[in-house]
Amino acid sequence: MKNKQRGNNMMWGYIMVGPTILGLLILNIYPFIDTIRLSLSATKAFGAYEFVGLQNYMDMFASTEFWKATWNSIWFCVLTVPVGVFLALLLAILLNANIKGKSIFRTIYFLPMVVAPAAVAMVWKWMFNAEFGIINSLLGTRIKWITDPSIVLFTCAVVSVWSSVGYDAILLLSGIQNISKSYYEAASLDGAGPIKQFFTITIPMVSPTLFVVLIMRLMASLKVYDLIYMMVDQSNPALTDAQSLMYLFYRESFIAGNKGYASAIVIWTVLLIGVVTAIQFIGQKKWVNYEV
Amino acid sequence: MKNTKKIAAGTLAAVMAAGMVGCGGQSGTGSNGQVNLTFQIWDVGQRDGMQAMCDAYTAKNPNVKIEVQVTSWNEYWTKLEAAATSQKMPDIFWMHTNEILKYADNGMLADVSDIVETDKFSDISLSNAQGSDGKLYGVPKDKDVICLAYNKELFDQAGVAYPDENWTWDDLVTASQTIYDATGKYGYMAYADDQLGYWNFVYQNGGYILNDDKTKAGFTQPATAEAMEFYINLQKNDWCPDQTYFAEQAPGAAFLSGQGAMYLEGTWNFLPMLQNNPELNGKLAVAALPKAPSPASGDGRATISNGLCYATAANNKNMDVVKDVLKFFGSEEGQRIQGESGAAIPAYNGLEQTWVDAFKDYDIDVSICIPMFEYGVQSVNNASRPEWKTKVSDELLKIYSGQVELQQGLQNMQDIVDQASAK
Repeated sequence: MKNKQRGNNMMWGYIMVGPTILGLLILNIYPFIDTIRLSLSATKAFGAYEFVGLQNYMDMFASTEFWKATWNSIWFCVLTVPVGVFLALLLAILLNANIKGKSIFRTIYFLPMVVAPAAVAMVWKWMFNAEFGIINSLLGTRIKWITDPSIVLFTCAVVSVWSSVGYDAILLLSGIQNISKSYYEAASLDGAGPIKQFFTITIPMVSPTLFVVLIMRLMASLKVYDLIYMMVDQSNPALTDAQSLMYLFYRESFIAGNKGYASAIVIWTVLLIGVVTAIQFIGQKKWVNYEV
Repeated sequence: MKNTKKIAAGTLAAVMAAGMVGCGGQSGTGSNGQVNLTFQIWDVGQRDGMQAMCDAYTAKNPNVKIEVQVTSWNEYWTKLEAAATSQKMPDIFWMHTNEILKYADNGMLADVSDIVETDKFSDISLSNAQGSDGKLYGVPKDKDVICLAYNKELFDQAGVAYPDENWTWDDLVTASQTIYDATGKYGYMAYADDQLGYWNFVYQNGGYILNDDKTKAGFTQPATAEAMEFYINLQKNDWCPDQTYFAEQAPGAAFLSGQGAMYLEGTWNFLPMLQNNPELNGKLAVAALPKAPSPASGDGRATISNGLCYATAANNKNMDVVKDVLKFFGSEEGQRIQGESGAAIPAYNGLEQTWVDAFKDYDIDVSICIPMFEYGVQSVNNASRPEWKTKVSDELLKIYSGQVELQQGLQNMQDIVDQASAK
């Protein structure tokens, strides 16, 4: 009787997770394996391919364009993640304070997340326009925000931080609000000021959320594509200085029709993200606090 | 356990069915002999013209229905390739010179040699519809040339005579300088583009991009290199914006807003420009391209002439009906409807005037474009073009931005094309 009950329970369990597992298999796992297979093939038009071993990877590692794109992706991370997460934390604390119209501010900061990334990029692109853009006319400068090779990634980073900071702040805000008031009361009784409270209570208590935000932001930054694609046209002389790995993938795969080589780029990106995430998981033991 | 399997199978079936519904391409035959066809194009400006043509056909053949679908140029080729891979191409679709060899040589397109009236189309129109084996894989649709578009108002302000067919590159430079000095606006806007840019100058100068059997590039040929140098260095003049400018505003947009007096534009764009920007009426004028002053060969005249064609899949299920429709599209009647709609210049010889007449509501004389077909050069293409196209354009950008010296850049372009073409 007991065994039967158990089997029944298990069956219902499988039924419940079935659709998700099926979706994962069809939409994630199978394409992933297929990508690995493609990365070992020379592809021709219309799905024809031929196994070539590691040739695509050897071509890739010999290509300066590829290393430039890898560097661009990493540099983009460096530009966006620390600043973005720091600003999000700052914003979360400010939004948590007792100010008038708190919920209006929360909505305003969250709005960029609701707007389609393509629309965001289009508007910013016009604001950064060197000839007619509002930013140059306000500053009285003629900076080539989008076409100067040494500036273009900073410009993209600004837009990226702008559009993600509200979302991250809301996540962090929910973490901050979960911290029990009694910790702060006890701390102030012991004479700890707001700064001391921030570093000894808020940061450790919100660290699990902070960790999630960090991981998500790093992955998103390493995979950045739509923003740069929209901001940097293919006629832009700064293209190679802004081209991220995913942009290079897009151009190889869908414009040049070189899907095998493009798949090798994807696998490389997956490995890169894997390594970075593994390092974060090892590092988290030192600073993330899961005890409440 | 039995139940689990059933449910799993059911879910799987549902998922697969949903997947199939998602990618319907070809339409089929209805129960009452009704044939539904899909017709895919990329230019929304030509939708009405294409619709008029389909209506003329379906009026005579009430058992056929044709649905015109528009997909943007960028998505068009991604979509079409996916459709071809899964054997679900639309019944009729536009084919472009850039891509036709890839599709034709891989056996994706139906041979339509038997329905094309070859004596009614120019050699360029026919070669734009040919596969590498010389058979016709498309019915010629239209033809175009590249012209010099100029802003009459800026010419008047600067007191410069309008361009005529005797203009040379030197006149182009002098006029640009005068306009810049007098009005502060840019003269001729030369930017990184092949068909609407340096290709024209290269062929005018007697050079070539690909040799006659399309196996080798010609970037390092002296006449080609000379024309490329002339064209690229135009941006060093004060009267021409540099490439960073064009990365942020297209030359067409700069022209529209009166920032520049001249640029190269294809004939397919003039009517939509006027329709969408009524304020251009009276300002926009068209001239023949200036000629090379001292060409290595030829008389210095050339313009890149391209053309589209209508194609269908090799495995189309309604081949008889589709071929009948295609035959109509390529007939004098079908081509006349296309021309009268102003969509494009009909490929059919002798119908050029229908396109010129479509401009009757506007103050512009486009008849100057028609004689240019006499010295038109077929748009550059070989089977590996999709592979080298972006790489060559990246290399050109590097020359513009100074990352690569001109001679080195040309050598790189030569190598890129030669290597891709050798495969």
